[in-house]
Amino acid sequence: MTSSRIHIAADSVCDLPADIVESLNVHIIPTYVNIGSESIPDDGQSLDRERFFRELPSMRNLPTTAAPSPGDAEAFYRTILDDGAERIISIHVPAKLSGTLNAMRLGAEAVGANRVTLVDSLQLTFGIGYQVWAAAELAAQGAELAAILEAIERVRQHTRVYAIIDTMEYLRRSGRVNALVASVGGLLKIKPIVDVSDGEVTSIARLRTWSRAERRLRQLTREQSPLERLAVLHVSSRAGADRFLDSIRDIAPSDTLVIETTPTLGTHIGPGSIGVATLSKDWRR
Amino acid sequence: MPVPSIGGQALKRMFRAGLESLSQDVELINMHNVFPVPDGDTGINMYHTLKRAYQEIDRLESDDISVIAQRFAYGALMGARGNSGTILSQLLKGFADGLGESPILIPSLLKSACQAAVKQGYASVSQPTEGTILTVAREASESLSLRHSENVSLRMMLKSLIRAAQASLENTPNLLPILKDASVLDAGGMGLVSLLRGMAGGRARWRAGRPKTGGDIPTAVEGAESFGYDVQFLMIGEGLDVARTRRDLEELGWSVIVAGDQATIKVHIHADNPAIPLDYAVKTGAALDDVVVENMELQHQRHLSSVRRGTAQSDALSSDVAVIAVAEGDGLRTVFRGLNCSKIISGGAGRNPAAEDFINAIKNLASNCVIILPNNRNIVLAAQQAADLAVDRQVKVLATDNVLQGIGAMLAFGDASDSGADLEAALAQMSAASAEIRSIEITQAVRNTRFRELSINQGDYIAIVDGEIRAASEEIETAVLDAFSSLDIEDVELVTVYYGAGVSGVESEQLIKRIRMAVEGLECESIYGGQPLYPFLISVE
Repeated sequence: MTSSRIHIAADSVCDLPADIVESLNVHIIPTYVNIGSESIPDDGQSLDRERFFRELPSMRNLPTTAAPSPGDAEAFYRTILDDGAERIISIHVPAKLSGTLNAMRLGAEAVGANRVTLVDSLQLTFGIGYQVWAAAELAAQGAELAAILEAIERVRQHTRVYAIIDTMEYLRRSGRVNALVASVGGLLKIKPIVDVSDGEVTSIARLRTWSRAERRLRQLTREQSPLERLAVLHVSSRAGADRFLDSIRDIAPSDTLVIETTPTLGTHIGPGSIGVATLSKDWRR
Repeated sequence: MPVPSIGGQALKRMFRAGLESLSQDVELINMHNVFPVPDGDTGINMYHTLKRAYQEIDRLESDDISVIAQRFAYGALMGARGNSGTILSQLLKGFADGLGESPILIPSLLKSACQAAVKQGYASVSQPTEGTILTVAREASESLSLRHSENVSLRMMLKSLIRAAQASLENTPNLLPILKDASVLDAGGMGLVSLLRGMAGGRARWRAGRPKTGGDIPTAVEGAESFGYDVQFLMIGEGLDVARTRRDLEELGWSVIVAGDQATIKVHIHADNPAIPLDYAVKTGAALDDVVVENMELQHQRHLSSVRRGTAQSDALSSDVAVIAVAEGDGLRTVFRGLNCSKIISGGAGRNPAAEDFINAIKNLASNCVIILPNNRNIVLAAQQAADLAVDRQVKVLATDNVLQGIGAMLAFGDASDSGADLEAALAQMSAASAEIRSIEITQAVRNTRFRELSINQGDYIAIVDGEIRAASEEIETAVLDAFSSLDIEDVELVTVYYGAGVSGVESEQLIKRIRMAVEGLECESIYGGQPLYPFLISVE
């Protein structure tokens, strides 16, 4: 594995589970979740996710999230280079939504900017993950930088990430997507379907009931068929995610994953939400 | 006595007399509402339409009938309120166009102008309904065609016109079953008869058996308002002569209202020189109090310049779609604002905005593409007229029957804006969304009546389901639950209760509890609407 000259790096918002991270030999830098005065790395180990999401609704102050520091980034890159990498492609949460990419840029400059190629994934969760996945597979085959970057771009174009937001309360309190919150409006209970593209989260449909929202999400997912990859995402709603997957089983690839999204994202979205990340087969053409 | 011809000033006096006749019949016409609900407003809508029309000609000196008729029609188009007011304005516009450029009215011209009026009236609605003001206008006009092909005096023609209109009006329940069910005549037709009778110098005579009137009878005999000064004052003294004061003041100005007794007289008058009526009042020996003088010319100029500013901006208009909605109740207005409605016009049941209100709202928008949600059947035509008159913008009307459909449309508007939909696409999406909303409107009966199998007592709560009375009961909860049981609730998922002014959130939650007990598995939401007259507006989807 270490034979490939190009290594792939990403941040924990890409939501790739530990076993896949290991088998792809990619490097993940954690973002942080701040609860009260504590700053906890969102690395899948330091924070008890189940407990975190269980307690989230009753927390008086919502947790905040933070990018890695430039120092973290520098140390992260040095470790990868020491591991034998000649070059790193580093794929991250959109600059429009997070300071991560900026910290990574500073870290990259410290280790020699020509060693690291930064990519704004313009996506979230598995929308980043699919880019990382494809890049890692190509890198393992010894592909050139340009070919990998081109594949990342094609994957991005054929990826869709949609989610049903169960309650607008968390997005409203998070303050990261004020335009989305304003466009959905107050007063009425609305379950919007949000779309992630071009590094932004926008509402594409305003539904008044959960079942209608699910119907719409199903329809949107089916539009992407045939699928090469599918991940059903949820925040503290495993049963809901499983039920949803059952309803689209006919178009789901056999290796479809059901993933609880990282607390870094979950704290902004809130418990109860479910979503999908699709990669359509067309990306290879 | 033959009347050889009528000039512009004579026509103006006739219009004024017609307006006064209508003003006295306002409440009676309002009561001829198909539904016994407290939003009977045809009389007041027609009155306001004509009042605005008369403002246009009040100061016109022209003796040219085509000038007077055209300006009167223009004022009516701008002031059009409610469906009957809007159709009336179209009849007047057709009449004015039918006169061509003739300076005087002669019998043959009256006939052709009436025909033109009817033609325009019918053309103004997409699906003309017989048994309405349109039928009354048409049959009146046809009486001229049949009986007056030769030289006949204008007076005879007018008499014939009125006789035929009255007969047609009395026949409206035979053409339109809902009128018969409710034991009423067509209210718009009544308004037209009242206008015509007034114009011919008489008063409408209404047959017995009319619905009982209730509430205050408006004393709206203001006639018309125009430029100059609006002068109001109190005369205080002993042995004041109200009738004489009125007579004298009518010589000194217009729009004169004099009311009071021997000790106090309240005066309202419009005059070119405000000093003249004040001087007169002082000279009677009375003391003056509460003197208010307003310059109406300046008010008008300010209005005009604001309109011009609005027009000047039209070069830089955006092509984003903007929505204007009609809603009453602070809660409902907040809901519309929260859904990114650009402009919310007050009004609704019993208080219809005029075409001009929509036109002013359109002018103030920074968008070239506008969708109007009238949110009331009786506001649709006035909104459509405004859309037609606002020629420098693209304006579409989505004929929503109530605010519940309007809110459904607004949710789709958000989706449409996100996807960058153009005017037609946004309209189509909003229309589809509003069509999915079922509505239950709860109000109280204003009179005893029968409706289909329902026997309704004054004060009963009535449930109007998708525009049709489906339940009535002394108990509000019973009316609501009966309405629900009349619905096919197989595919219902969500019930939203907007509670009105005078209802508490707790009462709304209690109602929801009862609905949940009656119908299992519903998502329910209670929202403050603050609307008058309707304690609950319930959308079912």
